[in-house]
Amino acid sequence: MKFISIAKKDFKELIRDCRGLVMILLFPMFFMLVFGFAFGGMGQSNQPHNLAVVNYDEGATMPITGEKVNFGNNLTKILEDSEYEDSDIHLFNVTLTTESDADKKLKGRDVDAALIIPENYSQSMIALITSIMQQPISTGTLTSQESPNTTSTLIIRGDTGYVGFGTSQGILTGVLEQYQDTLVTQTRNAVTGSSGVETKQYIQRKVEAVSGTGSFTTFDMLAPGMMVFAILLLTTTVATALTREVEKGTLTRLKLSNMTSFDLLFGGLLPWSLIAAVQVVILLIVAVLIGFHWQGGLNTLILALFVGIIGGISSISLGMIIAAFARNESQAGNLGTLISVPTSFLVGAFFQLPQVVIANVWGQPFQIYDLLPWTHILNALRSTLTFGGGWDTIAYNVGWAALLTVVLFIIGVVLFSRNRLRAEN
Amino acid sequence: MNNVIIEAQNLNKSFGDFQAVENLNLKINRGEVFGFLGPNGAGKTTSINMMVGLLHPTSGQVFIDGNEVQQIEKGTIGICPQELVLWDYLTCRESLMLMGEMYEVPGDKLKIKVDKLLDGLFLTEKANTVVSQLSGGMKRRLNLALALVHEPEIVVLDEPSEGLDPQSRRVLWNYIRSLRDDDGKTVILTTHLMDEADRLSDRIAIIDHGKLLRLDTPSNLKKETGEGDVIEMKISNPEKNQEIISAVGKMEEVESVLEVDGQINIRALDAVSKLPMIMDELEHLRVRVVDLSVRQNTLEDVFIDLTGTGLRE
Repeated sequence: MKFISIAKKDFKELIRDCRGLVMILLFPMFFMLVFGFAFGGMGQSNQPHNLAVVNYDEGATMPITGEKVNFGNNLTKILEDSEYEDSDIHLFNVTLTTESDADKKLKGRDVDAALIIPENYSQSMIALITSIMQQPISTGTLTSQESPNTTSTLIIRGDTGYVGFGTSQGILTGVLEQYQDTLVTQTRNAVTGSSGVETKQYIQRKVEAVSGTGSFTTFDMLAPGMMVFAILLLTTTVATALTREVEKGTLTRLKLSNMTSFDLLFGGLLPWSLIAAVQVVILLIVAVLIGFHWQGGLNTLILALFVGIIGGISSISLGMIIAAFARNESQAGNLGTLISVPTSFLVGAFFQLPQVVIANVWGQPFQIYDLLPWTHILNALRSTLTFGGGWDTIAYNVGWAALLTVVLFIIGVVLFSRNRLRAEN
Repeated sequence: MNNVIIEAQNLNKSFGDFQAVENLNLKINRGEVFGFLGPNGAGKTTSINMMVGLLHPTSGQVFIDGNEVQQIEKGTIGICPQELVLWDYLTCRESLMLMGEMYEVPGDKLKIKVDKLLDGLFLTEKANTVVSQLSGGMKRRLNLALALVHEPEIVVLDEPSEGLDPQSRRVLWNYIRSLRDDDGKTVILTTHLMDEADRLSDRIAIIDHGKLLRLDTPSNLKKETGEGDVIEMKISNPEKNQEIISAVGKMEEVESVLEVDGQINIRALDAVSKLPMIMDELEHLRVRVVDLSVRQNTLEDVFIDLTGTGLRE
């Protein structure tokens, strides 16, 4: 059982090299913390959106009652008071301000969107009300001349490339439509004296969140990505450790003995997989501490560990491939980083890349990124930790990950053995 | 049992255009200390690596006990490399146990062997110290111990006393002798320390530019280059060195004359009795001697005689 001796040796080297070990474990933790603080609150549905309101509305007089009204103020009040359904959290944090200040705030992303209410907003609203009031008594030939022809434009301003603006303007448009609809219905009812027919009674709209995602933040989607990133970084560490063995000549020593490639590489797998598992646990703890909504219980942790170990083996295999070619330790380190960091982007650890479907497997689209085992590792970790899914939900991904890992491991063993474990030419 | 344990036949090795080893033929006998002597870059390590199967020769063959080197049982050879090849984060004992396990030495036997090695190389006190905390000398001794833990029949020591203080060197030399005398091992030693080669080796191969120049016992080598003693002298006007060399070289009593580092080395049997004659000749040439000493012929003289005085990298 020579691979056990190698595993013990690698394990001792790992834990005794305190500086190296701290680096391996702390570096991803740092990323997790940064991402946790940056995205911890983002995407949660019950979060107020920051809105700047610039109200130029000069107000107007109601035609019949002679009552002074300001629909701009009215709208602002409604925006301030609007709340999420079944919640007492406000839709918006409204800041009343000037146009130039609103622009400044938009650029600094202090607000997500700005609403500019024009000076004739009240007048146009009255025009609308008047036209409705005239409708029932007219002979069906409503002409524009009969009503004061006033139009106004509400401006929603913001950085169109900013996700926060997208969400805010969506909600804002909804609220504005609803405000206008309600106003129209109310006026109509007042005029006809009946409740009339509301379009809403026939067609209703409701936005529903995917079950369980109601309180998700962007960080909840990112945290498993960070774990995959950490697992991928093992590539660099394994590549350097193996290259160090080559460079220092200790591999030559081992090569002269009865040790086989299997002993060396399989023995190495054990402590490194353990590190991968430890990474998953530590990162999960850190993530939970800074606000990760961990679904499911201990069983999902066990599944995550299992998945993490498969991912670890993939990274180790990639490390072997790098070590088969790297000339020295620092080159192995650089190559490892150059390969593992872009790979973590490719597998979607930080954000989703555009879809590139290359085939259909068992009715599921197979994307180009699916050729990398870590894509499946990430999907599986997300399914189990973020969505609380069980074995049945991750089996497909685990299957792919395992298959690709085996392929990668075989490539790693073959290349490393051929380049490093035979007599030199 | 065949007395020859290693046989190299027409061994050649080239790296691109560079011919590192050229047509090397030699036989190493069982139970001898065989010295490989040569300047830096002469091809010693390359030759050794081919002879133990770590490097494929470009052409030629190596036989160990009659079998091709690639076919021999692993563990026949133990190598102590020139550099320190150690695991920094393992202790001495752990390193030795690991290598023993890799060579499949049975557990109980391994423990005894490890203790014996630690004791023999004065490492018992540091048995449980991690390698990174050992002194240079201790690391060297552990480097050697790692080559011996599986009791190989052939031990290859590549410049083993590099960077050792005289005390550690003494320990090492005694240990190498005991390997041959007590354990009956065949030891191959590469070195550029003449003293080391002279004192330890039964036979010496002098190699330079990848070619075997001489192969003999140290005393025969010394005899071959010129028996007797060496007179080393410095004259007040070194520009006359060549004139003196040609004049003294013609004297029948003198074996050879050579300029080494600005001084003249004259080799002659019973040099002290020849000294007056040589001094007469110098007087005749009107040169004044600044420094003069007479010493015994050493292996270094042979070496310089064969490999020249040019600097090697």
